[in-house]
Amino acid sequence: MATTALSPTTESYRRSWVLEWLTTVDHKKIGILYIVNSFLFFFAAGILALVVRSELAVPGLQFLDERTYNQAFTMHGTIMIFLFVVPVLSGFSNYIVPLQLGAPDMAFPRINALSFWFLPLGGILIFSGYLFGGAAAEGWTLYTPLSAGTYSKGVGTDLWLVGLLLVGTASILGSINFVATIFKMRAPGMTLFRMPILVWTVLVTQTLILLATPVLAAGMIALFIDRNYGGSFFDPNAGGNPILWQHLFWFFGHPEVYIVILPAMGVVSEILPVFTRRPLFGYRAFVFATVAIGLLSFSVWAHHMFTTGQVYLPFFSFMTALIAVPTGVKFFNWMATLWRGSITFATPMLFALGFLSMFLIGGISGMVLSSPPIDFHLQDTYFVVAHLHYVFFGGSVFGVFAATYYWFPKMFGRRLNEGLGKIHFWLHFIGFNLAFFPMHILGLDGMPRRIADYSPDAGWTMWNLVSTAGAFMIAVSILPFLWNVAATFINGEPVGDDPWEGNTLEWATSSPPPPHNFDRLPPIRSERPVFDLRHRHDAERLAAEEATAHAVVEGGPS
Amino acid sequence: MSRLAAPLRHPALRRARLPVLLIAAIGLLAGCGMIPPEPDTTQAKEVFNLYIAVLVMGAIVFAGVEGFILYSIARYRRRDDRLPTQVHGNNTVEVIWTAIPTVIVMILFVLSMITLSSIDARAANPGVTVEVDAFQWQWTFHYLDGDGNPDNDVSITGTPANPPVMGLPVGEPVHLILRSSDVIHAFFVPHFLVKRDVVPVPEGRAPNDLEFTITAAGTYAGQCAEFCGDLHSRMTFSVQAMSRADYDKWYAAVQSGKPPTPSVAPGGTTVKLTAADISFDVKQLTVPAGQPFHIQLTNKDSLPHNVGIYQGDKELFRGDPVNGVGTIIYDVPALPVGDYTFICDYHPLPAMTGTLTVK
Repeated sequence: MATTALSPTTESYRRSWVLEWLTTVDHKKIGILYIVNSFLFFFAAGILALVVRSELAVPGLQFLDERTYNQAFTMHGTIMIFLFVVPVLSGFSNYIVPLQLGAPDMAFPRINALSFWFLPLGGILIFSGYLFGGAAAEGWTLYTPLSAGTYSKGVGTDLWLVGLLLVGTASILGSINFVATIFKMRAPGMTLFRMPILVWTVLVTQTLILLATPVLAAGMIALFIDRNYGGSFFDPNAGGNPILWQHLFWFFGHPEVYIVILPAMGVVSEILPVFTRRPLFGYRAFVFATVAIGLLSFSVWAHHMFTTGQVYLPFFSFMTALIAVPTGVKFFNWMATLWRGSITFATPMLFALGFLSMFLIGGISGMVLSSPPIDFHLQDTYFVVAHLHYVFFGGSVFGVFAATYYWFPKMFGRRLNEGLGKIHFWLHFIGFNLAFFPMHILGLDGMPRRIADYSPDAGWTMWNLVSTAGAFMIAVSILPFLWNVAATFINGEPVGDDPWEGNTLEWATSSPPPPHNFDRLPPIRSERPVFDLRHRHDAERLAAEEATAHAVVEGGPS
Repeated sequence: MSRLAAPLRHPALRRARLPVLLIAAIGLLAGCGMIPPEPDTTQAKEVFNLYIAVLVMGAIVFAGVEGFILYSIARYRRRDDRLPTQVHGNNTVEVIWTAIPTVIVMILFVLSMITLSSIDARAANPGVTVEVDAFQWQWTFHYLDGDGNPDNDVSITGTPANPPVMGLPVGEPVHLILRSSDVIHAFFVPHFLVKRDVVPVPEGRAPNDLEFTITAAGTYAGQCAEFCGDLHSRMTFSVQAMSRADYDKWYAAVQSGKPPTPSVAPGGTTVKLTAADISFDVKQLTVPAGQPFHIQLTNKDSLPHNVGIYQGDKELFRGDPVNGVGTIIYDVPALPVGDYTFICDYHPLPAMTGTLTVK
């Protein structure tokens, strides 16, 4: 390749393959490390989900005792949130954002490597509770006083706190890196309002991480002190307040929801224009809506605490409902982008459309929960479990798979097989709805979450069985995906640099890109520089046609 | 109008009719399940009506957006390589579609607040006041009869195997005071469409409370809804709602049915057992066969503990609980030679289970 001449050191000495990946500071390799690491944790946490669903399939304790069950759902939630959804989206951002900005790398490549390597370490620490008398079993929210020393003596909870502090530190370092990269590393011509939407959503996401994660870290340190050094931040018998933990946790935890949904929205907003050949309708409104969601996300945390009797309900209810406005704007933008487009249905587009439909359901059930009187009934039931899975899984994870299919050819020069991709999508989509839609009904009927068992007289058996079947269907859908990835590595067909006719700068370089990313950049005159390049003649023709049409209309009636 | 109707005649849409009908049918079926249980308190009826209003709004939004998406992807699938018109935005429609969710949000908020102020109202003189004490992992229902003498109050404590029943009168406001001595629990009765966290609060701070008026006699299942540790799923109870006359009879029966504290017969072997941090200090007790014996249980927790003796699933002896720190001596009848299980009925965990050998 021509790159050798430009950067002779890349070929001048050889390091072992393993050493290269262990010591790399290239944002693309780090991005792939993030993604692979996250998927490994996804499979582990997915197996825990199957364990939980198997136990709940029918009444009675068949496989687990209560303690083991509690550990399983605690680890499932923790790993899925902190070691899969957040880092996998960070991984895609890591790979794609510098490319979309026309930058050679992240602003701080070494910090980038450091913040990645904290993740597997933190994850192993969290899991290692199983080797030392049992993992944490207090739910991923770790509410006090249940998680305080008196009621959960095991070292698993301490390992959970330490591991998660490492993961949180990694997030904070990473967020500084992203913000610096986005503000300082843009190519000439890439003004803020020419940045791809994904970059905007990552900017807002990383700002949220930067502001929210330290609050959780402070809370976790306080809890660690309570547990091990006689502190009493959360002990009601010694002047502390157990509800304080919920405030600290959710002050982080609600922005966290947007931390995992905004980049997925960004991914979908990249994919829809490519597969409809239309620009994202209302680009600026979309940017403002993203910023508005980011700002509002810091004023809604106590909607997780309506039933504690210790929050001012009207304020938090109103702010929560208000988030529907910028989210609604985004939906209209997506709908208007589809309208009169020229739509094709490659696998990334299927997952993006799946995202729209599933996240819509999650958004509507969120509005239902924002009403305190209704929340008094639904809080801590399976309705909430359904809602959060429609947001995290139907939203973020569909976005993750859309991103995987969309950028795989950029990362490896080969496209994943479309047939297997479509089988994956449909199994995944149907399995997802089978697994999680019945949970709405169970929750409305009063089935509390986090119970190891339920009475056969409660009338919850049928929907639990359906849900378990759906969970196994999701697991089965992963098999064609894994097969697809493996087969594409072995004998996938090379598809060139720009197989989807993309809009943004990552498609202006080779696949995979050289270590320094770009040999030359196209001129950047809009948020779609590669589209502009490809369609410069079409654009001129369309502009001319539009001008004629306007002249006719204006000249007509008067 | 003719311009609007034109796309509906498009062949792609005729092809899409079957899947659309199928999706609509599935949606309708799913929607039918999306109803809470029949509400059985005056407060629950208001919540139910609010929920139905919100459900209808949500269903309309879902049908509108999903319908638009399905229509668009059926109508505008790519047929040729022409570039579609490149529309970057339109200020008028963007202002309109910012206004639409704003209006929906305002309606939802106002309706919610009206219902909230109504269900949060407190009666001046509730018919019954019950102090609900939640602990790991069951409930004590402590009826406050208002005579200032706590010794003759009725108290009902459940075990995971025998959950407690809260008798309540129909048609009168019922006031619950929710106290916890350990972690956070939540009082939840699905048919009342309400739950409230039971939070351990510092000395001197008011605990959470809850008020409702039951409208129909019947038995209503309830359970803890805030995850509270190992046996969270076994923190069930039920509410038995009855007419005032039946309630008074029930109350008197429970009050008189209090077993007198058994006097300890002199003589016999005494074995000692200590419960602390939800575990017994010894897991093996040995007593002589064929003669009555005593078990001295010292409780160091703030939770209730007791000793029950079982042969397989068969209960042979059940001791009264020691509620909080204290000591009790049980008089146990003679047992034949063999191995038995002794267990705390309130915490049937491995840590509170042991073997009683009679030889």
